[in-house]
Amino acid sequence: MSQNKTAGAVAKRHMGLKTSRRIGNTAIYILLIAMSVIWLVPFICILLQSFRVESTWQVGYVVPQKWGLDNYQNLFKTDFPRWYTNTFIAALCTAVLQTVIVLCMSYTLSRFRFKMRQPLMRFMLILGMFPGMLTMIILYRVLKDLGMTQANAVPGLILVYVASSGMGYYVSKGFFDTIPKSLDEAARVDGATRLQVLYKIILPLSKPIVIYTILTAFMGPWGDFVFARYISFGASAGKNVAVGLYDWLSKDQINKSYTMFCAGGVLVAIPVTILFMCLQKYYVEGVTGGAVKG
Amino acid sequence: MKKLLALVLSLSMLLSVCSFASADSLAGEYDIKIWVANEIVDLTKQQVEDFNNTNELGIKFNATIEAVGEGDAATQMVTDVEAGGDIFCFAQDQFSRLTEAGALAKLGAGAAKNVTESTDADAVAAVTTGDGTLWAYPLTADNGYFMYYDKSVIPEEDIDSMEKLIADCEAAGKNFAFEMNTSAWYLASFFFGTGCVSEWQTDDEGNFTSVHDTFNSDKGLIAAKGMQKLVTSPIHVSSSEASALANGAAIVVTGTWASSAIKEMLGDNMGVADLPSFEVDGQEYHLGSFFGFKLMGVKPQVDPAKAAVLHRLAQYLTGAKCSLERHAAVGWGPANLEAQADESVANDPILKAVYEQKKYGQVQNAIHGSWWDIAKVIGDEVKAATDEAGLKQALQNYEDKMASLFKLDANALLFVGAWNGWNNADDTDTYYLKDGVLTLDVPESDYMGGRIVKPGDWGTDKGFAQVVSGAEYIKDLGADNPDNNIVFAEAGNYTITLNGSEITIVKN
Amino acid sequence: MANISDLEYLRLSKGQKLLFRLKRFFTDSLPNGLKNFFVRIGKGIGSGCQKIGSECKDIVSTFVHGDWKTKLSYLVMGFGCLARGQILRGILFLLFEIVFIGYMILAGGYWLSMLPSLGKVGPTETYNELFDTYTTTYNDNSFKILLYGVLTIFFIIAFIYTWRQNVKQNQIAEKILASGKKLRSGKEDLHSLVDDQFHKTLLALPMTGILIFTVLPIIFMVLVAFTNYDGAHDGYASNLFTWVGLKNFNTMLSWNSAGGTQSYAATFGEVLTWTLIWAFFATFTNYFLGMFVAMAINKKGIKVKKLWRTILVLTIAIPQFISLLYVSKMFAKDGIINGTLLSLGWIKQALPFWEDPTWARITVIIINIWIGIPYLMLITTGILMNIPADLYESARIDGANPWQQYTKITLPYMLFVTGPYLLTSFTGNMNNFNVIYLLTGGAPTNAAASSAAGSVGYTDLLITWLFKITTGAESQYYLASVVGILVFIVVALISLIVYNVLPSIKNEEDFQ
Repeated sequence: MSQNKTAGAVAKRHMGLKTSRRIGNTAIYILLIAMSVIWLVPFICILLQSFRVESTWQVGYVVPQKWGLDNYQNLFKTDFPRWYTNTFIAALCTAVLQTVIVLCMSYTLSRFRFKMRQPLMRFMLILGMFPGMLTMIILYRVLKDLGMTQANAVPGLILVYVASSGMGYYVSKGFFDTIPKSLDEAARVDGATRLQVLYKIILPLSKPIVIYTILTAFMGPWGDFVFARYISFGASAGKNVAVGLYDWLSKDQINKSYTMFCAGGVLVAIPVTILFMCLQKYYVEGVTGGAVKG
Repeated sequence: MKKLLALVLSLSMLLSVCSFASADSLAGEYDIKIWVANEIVDLTKQQVEDFNNTNELGIKFNATIEAVGEGDAATQMVTDVEAGGDIFCFAQDQFSRLTEAGALAKLGAGAAKNVTESTDADAVAAVTTGDGTLWAYPLTADNGYFMYYDKSVIPEEDIDSMEKLIADCEAAGKNFAFEMNTSAWYLASFFFGTGCVSEWQTDDEGNFTSVHDTFNSDKGLIAAKGMQKLVTSPIHVSSSEASALANGAAIVVTGTWASSAIKEMLGDNMGVADLPSFEVDGQEYHLGSFFGFKLMGVKPQVDPAKAAVLHRLAQYLTGAKCSLERHAAVGWGPANLEAQADESVANDPILKAVYEQKKYGQVQNAIHGSWWDIAKVIGDEVKAATDEAGLKQALQNYEDKMASLFKLDANALLFVGAWNGWNNADDTDTYYLKDGVLTLDVPESDYMGGRIVKPGDWGTDKGFAQVVSGAEYIKDLGADNPDNNIVFAEAGNYTITLNGSEITIVKN
Repeated sequence: MANISDLEYLRLSKGQKLLFRLKRFFTDSLPNGLKNFFVRIGKGIGSGCQKIGSECKDIVSTFVHGDWKTKLSYLVMGFGCLARGQILRGILFLLFEIVFIGYMILAGGYWLSMLPSLGKVGPTETYNELFDTYTTTYNDNSFKILLYGVLTIFFIIAFIYTWRQNVKQNQIAEKILASGKKLRSGKEDLHSLVDDQFHKTLLALPMTGILIFTVLPIIFMVLVAFTNYDGAHDGYASNLFTWVGLKNFNTMLSWNSAGGTQSYAATFGEVLTWTLIWAFFATFTNYFLGMFVAMAINKKGIKVKKLWRTILVLTIAIPQFISLLYVSKMFAKDGIINGTLLSLGWIKQALPFWEDPTWARITVIIINIWIGIPYLMLITTGILMNIPADLYESARIDGANPWQQYTKITLPYMLFVTGPYLLTSFTGNMNNFNVIYLLTGGAPTNAAASSAAGSVGYTDLLITWLFKITTGAESQYYLASVVGILVFIVVALISLIVYNVLPSIKNEEDFQ
């Protein structure tokens, strides 16, 4: 094969690549636009229906015939503000406490080498294989004995969310594993205690994973409708948004509450979505830094 | 304090000096929790307040009223009776489940008498168990389905005939919504219309012991033919939602709960009527329906005074005054007779339709939970059937599933009673032997006999016909009875026990 | 199965290699593994006994050789510490003993004594003539007996462990004093908690939480499988429940006796099969499509990358109970999708998205893609960027087309990095309650499989079936518990298989 010929072939291929890339990119654009439509349609539908005032039940069309804020106003005549506050408090407390717990757990398992480390990790791996569904009824009874059910459900919810969160250490442990150990050792040589190493050296480097943990912990309580339902046990004052809104879709309420459900859904989605969009960068860093190595 | 009072009271009772104690001792404040449907929470609050203000016993309730719907309440109560509402409402089909779970308190003699006298007889029957005990207070008598239609599409004179309704809808390009494919509750309408029954018997503990089911019969075939007319029509939609009207239906079969939404949708064009009749082979059959009640239960209490006041409150809430208030506010049809007779209720067009349809309805008593799933597939099978054999097959499938439902142990068997001879399928009934025991009423008829067979195995006797004992109650037909059928000498109540291949029959 | 040499093995194609390893797993690794497992258990028990023996010997010898302070510590925990000036430790030991003894006398003894019977007297009903009313007296509570009985056993184990530590402390302290050194002061003890014992401080809180809110309930759940706990035997308000041995396992695993139209074993088999099919498709459709979308967005020349990503991740941000419930309504017979298609005239009859078993199964998998792609896209985006660009460059110079680049570079790399993730996502999908429950609730119903324990649908996973059993007409918690244990066994088995087969894949893949 002569030199010339090769060069010509390469040049030709480059030209071919350019056109084929253009075609490829167009196809990808079409695909992405189609996907965006599919991904957005349900949310746009919810948004549109929340502004529909001519009727409160399900209808076969999407665009309201009459627009208004009635559904949002009606929300405030129900217990919705209470549910919203409950959820918000639960989410906030969970975000703080769960982050502390998860970071303690994952930092320890990543950094310390002690006798029980391997058995502990294996034990938690096995624990995680049990379906948690049935344990809810037991947790409900335990919380009931502690007086944390029905109207007082919020502290109970926080307690359960936080208490078992140590099991979810994988992602942040994976992240801590990527921080070089030599940093710790250098500090230890300088006389720092383990505690000082943690908050002076490791934490400043762990911003993505801390934010990731806070974000996931904050988002969790908004969507919990099975366990929260057990704990609130019929008491409206102890419901969270998910339970309250879910009940609006029951047979005897859906005709009155369907559009209100949509409005409530929008109000729930707004803070979570905004927060998520703002912190998306850290979320990605956290996931890719931790999830795959766990 | 109240506990102490109760203690003193029970002590005084022990000493048989209770004669001087009077109802005054009920006076006091009580913290209670009431569970009612979302739409009547505010009204109930008002009604409890009224009770506080008007009762002469000095009873004062501090009531927490929560929105726990009738469907949800039973599940919640069964999960944790202790934390449940002191007074709660539930649908009638949850009754046996709740008594089983110890979530209902028996009514005292006075309360029982009061309820029996003042309430719809069917409703009373629904809260009474075999030994005559009443367990709950009937709240409404409107839990059934009937027909809403659009007057602008359906002329008034057509509402009695399903065929005409279908034709009207087809002509107007509108839909006929009747939930035939996903709900046994609605689908049973056709079968009840032709006189089929599906009755479940429970023992004292509420366990299902046997079922008397005649869906797979000539009558059932008629019902299936009628159903096929509807479900194969292009304008049929399987829905019981009010929204079906918004999506192009002119008729929807559903219950009172949809009335306000439908009223809003159709306005003055809303028509309400009992279900129509359908025609098969020149004969008219009026569609039947399930009919049920909503009930109010009182949770078992530890403190007799609290129990007594709760029962009083429940009587008040299910009484005429409160029932009428509920009717005025949310349109619920009362179970209380006085309220039913009231002008406002009697002239309510929706309740008129409800009560009209109730004449053709079957009261929905305890039904095995799986029945709903077994029966609801009939709709799809009937739709798929292309000929009569297909319809028969659908019913046979149903019966096979029913038969094996009671295969709780390996030797579950059927007793097929042929009350007027084998060739008259109308009078052939199937009973299930649970644990080899069956108690049945043998009706007075020409041929009072039957045979024990394995499910799905009607033709043969499987060697179980050799009656060994109890022969004095059995007619021996000798050569006329080559299959060795069990043939009873007289009508009456018999207990048939199967032990291995030996059959013992005892007349009760 | 015949062994083959390394050379023969290397000649096999990739599929054959995988097959070979799978076969080897079942013919070789699994039996051996099981054998080893039991051998190890045997050894473990043996060494455990040995250890207990030596501990006992140690305890006795410490007592015999110890001074009076040590001897008294056997009775009064922490006495030795107190006497030797380790006030903090001493007080903690003593406090623990007082709390333990107080608890056992006041409550623990009762719970423990009731544990074998789970209660003796159920609720009793009495008629009150004065008020013409019935009242119920509640007596024993099986549920609490079981719960607090287990908790008491936990406590006893903790006490024995602490007592042993107490003895050990004395032994160590005597040794240290004998060698003329000083004991650690309370202040030093506290300091060590943030330094060389820091891991204990960090783990204390999380582990307590896990113990009480995860381990205890799981033990309870396992025990329920051996009782008759259901709606009619709730242990308090209706009837007490009691131990029934292996009866529930017999019910669940037998083929002939049945509570429904078919045996529980058959139903379990059906639901398990669908659960595995679902988990397979849910995992791999998301994985490959998510990767594809990530690559598409990452591609050179695609603009506003951030916008595309932001649109897609909406499904992560918005709580599933809103989006999935809504989507479920969209696909309903009279929902927007059918309505639109009908009005466009593309179809004549509403499509049975949720009514037909096959349709419903496919629809849930497709909607799950809608949920899952964004998540996978985020994960893979990061990893894809980590693949060294020169690998592609050299591949391109070698004339590899995009497909070859993908199969030779991207995919092996991705599989290598995300292997463990795939496994957790597979088992996670097996227990994906939310998607199924919110979308279909298990519908359409499988009438043949439905029974008194509750209805079963064609899209029900084991986990939703389990939930339905607990909320079904008879609330058969015991049966749900058996299902829960079986789910655990299945998940554990799959993990075991994959762990045994997967690492070899990782080691062998080459990235030249």
